Amino acid sequence: MPYVIDARDLRKRYGSRLAVDDASFTIGAGRIVGLVGPNGAGKTSILRAVLGLASYQGYLRVLGREPLGARAALMLETCFIADVAVMPPWLRVDRAVDFVAGVHPRFRRDRALALLGKTPIKPGSRMRELSKGMKTQVHLALAMAVDAKLLVLDEPTLGLDLLARRSFYDALLNDYMDETRTILITTHQVEEIENLLTDVLLLDRGRVVLQDSVEGLAARFASVVVGADRLEAARALGPFHERPALGRTILYFDNADRAALAAFGEVRSPSVADLFVAKLSGGTA
Amino acid sequence: MRNAYWLMRRELWENRAIWILPTVIGALLVLAALFGRADIDVSAGAPPYRMVGGLLLFAFGIVFFLVMSVYSAWYLLDSLHSERKDHSILFWKSLPVTDTETVLAKLATALLVIPLVYFAAADVTTLLIAFIVSVRASSWFGASLWRADLWLQLQALWVYLIVTSAVWYLPVAGWLMVISAWARRALSLWSILPPLALIWAESAFFGTRHLAAALSVRLVTGYPQIAFHGLWAALLQAVGAGGADPSFASADVWSLLDPIGFLRSPATWSGLAVGAALIAAAIRLRSRAVEL
Repeated sequence: MPYVIDARDLRKRYGSRLAVDDASFTIGAGRIVGLVGPNGAGKTSILRAVLGLASYQGYLRVLGREPLGARAALMLETCFIADVAVMPPWLRVDRAVDFVAGVHPRFRRDRALALLGKTPIKPGSRMRELSKGMKTQVHLALAMAVDAKLLVLDEPTLGLDLLARRSFYDALLNDYMDETRTILITTHQVEEIENLLTDVLLLDRGRVVLQDSVEGLAARFASVVVGADRLEAARALGPFHERPALGRTILYFDNADRAALAAFGEVRSPSVADLFVAKLSGGTA
Repeated sequence: MRNAYWLMRRELWENRAIWILPTVIGALLVLAALFGRADIDVSAGAPPYRMVGGLLLFAFGIVFFLVMSVYSAWYLLDSLHSERKDHSILFWKSLPVTDTETVLAKLATALLVIPLVYFAAADVTTLLIAFIVSVRASSWFGASLWRADLWLQLQALWVYLIVTSAVWYLPVAGWLMVISAWARRALSLWSILPPLALIWAESAFFGTRHLAAALSVRLVTGYPQIAFHGLWAALLQAVGAGGADPSFASADVWSLLDPIGFLRSPATWSGLAVGAALIAAAIRLRSRAVEL
C-alpha cells in the first residue's frame, strides 16, 4: 500500500533561514502521527507544504499527488484545521454547512448537523458571536463530516480550556478515526495526545530527529532512576540524557541492554513528552 | 458552475453592503420624492416634454452608477485581502475549490452581480418615484415619466453600461485584485503610488508622459469617447457652458450607443489583454497566499 505522505529531502527556505532542512519521512494509512517539536522546528512549514499551501524543494507526494498546484484536488480527500480560529467571523453556522455541502462532494450534511446538534451552538449564530471553543467545534464538525483520507490538525486545541480539549480529542477518536484514515497532528501539549498517537515524528531546527511508532519508541528507549551512590556506574552504560529528580537522577538510554539497566532499579519506557525534552535538550538538563 | 454559484453566494453573505447600499440610496430617493418638492414651475413656459422625464430618469440611474463604481473599486481592493487579514483564507483553502475559481467568482461579483443589483435597485426606485410623482405632481410632469420608449432606453443603457464597462475597466479591476492579493496593508496607497512613481520616473528620465496619458485615457476619457457617440463632446460642453446642451438631452439612447466603435477600438482589446494578465497574476498570488 502506498504511503499517505512520502517526503524525501524536503526543504523550505525563508530568506536565509532554512525552516525545513532535508526532512525525510513517510506516513502510512491508518496512523495517527504526532508532529512534535519546539517552536521554529519547522512543523507549520511541513504542514503547509503537505497541504499545498506553500512552495518547497525536494520530493513530496500526498495521497499520490504533488501538493503544490493540486491543492483543490487534494482537498477532496484531505481536511485540515489550522492553528488559529479560521472560521470567517461574518459566516453563519448554518451557511457554513450549506457552503461546504455545496462545494464538497464528499461532505455529508446529515453527519455535520448531527455533530453540531450535540453542541449548544445555534445554527443562526455568526462565528464572531461564538467562543473560541465553539468555533473549533464547528470546524471539527465540518471536518469530521467529510469522508477524507487524511486529516491534518495544526495546534487544533490552542486556546481551548481543558474540557474543550478533552472533548475535541474524544470526538476525534470515537467518532472519526478508523483504519482507512490518517491523522497528522501538531501540538505543544504532547502529554495530552500521547495516548492517542500511533507514531511520533520529532523535529528540531527543520530536521527529523526521530521517527518511530509508539511501540517502537517504548522498546527502543529506557529510563532508570539512580541514586547518587551508583550514578557513575550507571553513566558507564552511556545515557544520552540525565535529569535530577528529588536527590536522585533519571538517566535516559537509547537501545541499551535492559537487563544491565535493571540492576540499577526499575526500567521504564519514557513518555513521548520526556523523550521530547531528553532528545532536544542535549546531555543534561 | 456549482462552485461558482456557491462562491458568489459567499460574496453576498460576506459583503452585505452589495445590496444594503443600493437599497438605502433607493429608499432615500423615494423619501425625497414623497416629501420633497414634486413639481416644476411651468409658468415660464412649458419645458420640452420628453426632456424633463428623460433627464429625471437618467439622473437617478447616474446616481446609482456612480455609487456602484466607487463601491466596486473598494470591493475589489478588499476582495483578496480581508480573508488573509481575518485568517479565514486557511478555511477557504481547506475546501476543494481552486484559486482560479475563487478569484474569478470575486471578479464576476464585481463586474456582473453588483451591477445587476444596482440595475434592479435603480429600476425599482425609478418606478416608485415615477408613481409617486404622478400622484403628487401636475399631470404633464407625471405623464412625461410614463413613456415606454424611455423605459426601454433606460434598460438598454444599463445593459450596455454593464457589459462595456466590465470590458473596459477589466485592467483596473485586475490591478486592484493584484494589490488586494499581494499588499499586507495600506492597500489604497499601494494601488495608487506605483503608477504615480512610474509616471514620475518616466518624466524624470525620458521627459515623456506616455504612461500618464494612457492611464488618463483608461480611467477617465477613454470609456465615454469609445463606447458612445457624442457623449464626450456633450460632457465637455456641459462642464464648459455650465449646463447641458438641450439638443443632446433630447437625443435618444439608441443614437448614443456605439457598440461597433467599441468593438473595433484597439484600446478595448489591449485593455482586455492587460486585464487578463493581471487577473492571472492575482490567481497566482492567491495560490501562494496564506494568512497575514
